[in-house]
Amino acid sequence: MSQEQLPVTEPEQVIEDPGEKVHVWPHLVSIELVGALIFTLLLILMAIFVKAPLVDLANPEVTPNPSKAPWYFLGLQELLLHMHPALAGVIVPTAVLVLLAAIPYIDTKRAGTGVWFYSPKGIPITIFSAIYTTVWNVSLILIDEYLPAGDGSTGIAPLLISWGLPPAVGYVFVPAALMIFIPWSLAVIVKRRWDADTRELMIALYTFFLASFIVLTIIGTGFRGHGMKLMWPWQIEPPIGH
Amino acid sequence: MRLRDLIVNNRFFKSIYRTGYPDTARKRVMVVINSLALHLHPVRVPKRAVRVTYTWGLGGLSIFMFVILTITGVFLMFYYVPSVREAYWSVVSLDTSVMMGQFMRNMHRWAAHMMVLMVLLHMTRVFYTGSYKPPRDFNWVIGIVLLVLTMLLSFTGYLLPWDQLAYWAITVGAEMGGSAPFVGKQVNIALLGGFEIGQATLIRWYTLHVIFLPLLLIVVVSMHFWRVRKDGNISTPIYPAEAAPEEVRRRLQGSAPANDEMA
Ligand code: HEM
Repeated sequence: MSQEQLPVTEPEQVIEDPGEKVHVWPHLVSIELVGALIFTLLLILMAIFVKAPLVDLANPEVTPNPSKAPWYFLGLQELLLHMHPALAGVIVPTAVLVLLAAIPYIDTKRAGTGVWFYSPKGIPITIFSAIYTTVWNVSLILIDEYLPAGDGSTGIAPLLISWGLPPAVGYVFVPAALMIFIPWSLAVIVKRRWDADTRELMIALYTFFLASFIVLTIIGTGFRGHGMKLMWPWQIEPPIGH
Repeated sequence: MRLRDLIVNNRFFKSIYRTGYPDTARKRVMVVINSLALHLHPVRVPKRAVRVTYTWGLGGLSIFMFVILTITGVFLMFYYVPSVREAYWSVVSLDTSVMMGQFMRNMHRWAAHMMVLMVLLHMTRVFYTGSYKPPRDFNWVIGIVLLVLTMLLSFTGYLLPWDQLAYWAITVGAEMGGSAPFVGKQVNIALLGGFEIGQATLIRWYTLHVIFLPLLLIVVVSMHFWRVRKDGNISTPIYPAEAAPEEVRRRLQGSAPANDEMA
């Protein structure tokens, strides 16, 4: 195929500002060396003072309570407490990865490359999005933990079931709707309040992902104890097997 | 100076580093071009791209964690036995009777956590600096693959000590995978190598952890680094033509864009 046959798109008018250049040796090599040394030292100190955990031999007969995944999966494990496992364990992580990978194909303008937080609106949007996300996450977790569902149990789905609705409503539709509604409403607010362009909307949505990941991971790690019930970090007893 | 001459100005050193000590502009170019490790870099880079507060060195630290994990991991492999009967006890003996064993195991564990953290932070830096924008769009996708590989590496390693922590984390993980719509059962069997966690699971995850995933990560990281270079190295500011800051406009006025070598 010759050049002429390629689709022609209007080139974006931009001003590039790479600025002054310096030699990699020594300007970059020295920074890399210092970074490597600091992290080597840090890891050596950690390895000397903090032991990697090793508990009792694996025993299929004895279930530790709680049994938790490593920290970077505790966000997903937290979701598992609130919705159908296919949604929490498979569909949500898959959707997150696909949407993350899609970011550069949605926000395709070159302008805005190479600048932290893009525009003067970038930092306020990031802060607002982080707070908005955190409030939603924490409120929903508290509601789902303590909302009385009649027969002594608690939670949104049990309540809906007690009203005679099929379990799928509480465990699939409501959580799925919320997981779409929260980022969507965030995007709408940011668009109205800041007259946001595509990049600024991406900043709001990535912040939604990041803040959710952090909040869920912290709650899953530090605030879930025996029976995966909510509690303060100092109330959590080590699971059996230690 | 005397000491430096002693080290640098002799036949042996010069047989390795032909350029000698890089103290002139020309030698600073040559030292990068002539070195296998350094030539991953361009010869010269924008000053703002090497500022620590721009990248925080997070991509470099991610790969550095991988190097530490490889070294400590080989040490652990000398002692670890991937069998259900012996795995746990080989880890116990690493901790109690192998010289430096506990230290190496600790280091491997903490570097693994650190690598996951560094990769997540690196992705976040790339996002908030807008460095995923074209032409770096596909390298961002490669990055997502690297994120998944990093987590899989960490998680497959988690099973190997065969203690309660490992066993039940894998149980949770396999149940999650097993709940996949339509293919749940197949996913579960593929993860466990059978219907329950046992020898087949251990040897499967061990093989992935020590051979397949690290090799795959090396291949994909190579593509990642290659593309960083091909996409014009670390990103530098690009403004919309109408909205570039006044200061940038004035500085660039008249002076032709600095389009020097990308060697
Ligand atoms: C094993 C994991 C990874 C390694 C070892 C790695 C390594 C690197 C290195 C050394 C750089 C050079 C600049 C820097 O240090 O910031 C870089 C740049 C880059 N990385 Fe990664 N990376 C990894 C994962 C990721 C992930 C998860 C993403 C995003 C999803 C990503 C996207 C990018 C992009 C777009 C660039 C170009 C940035 C720019 O030009 O400013 N990488 N990576």
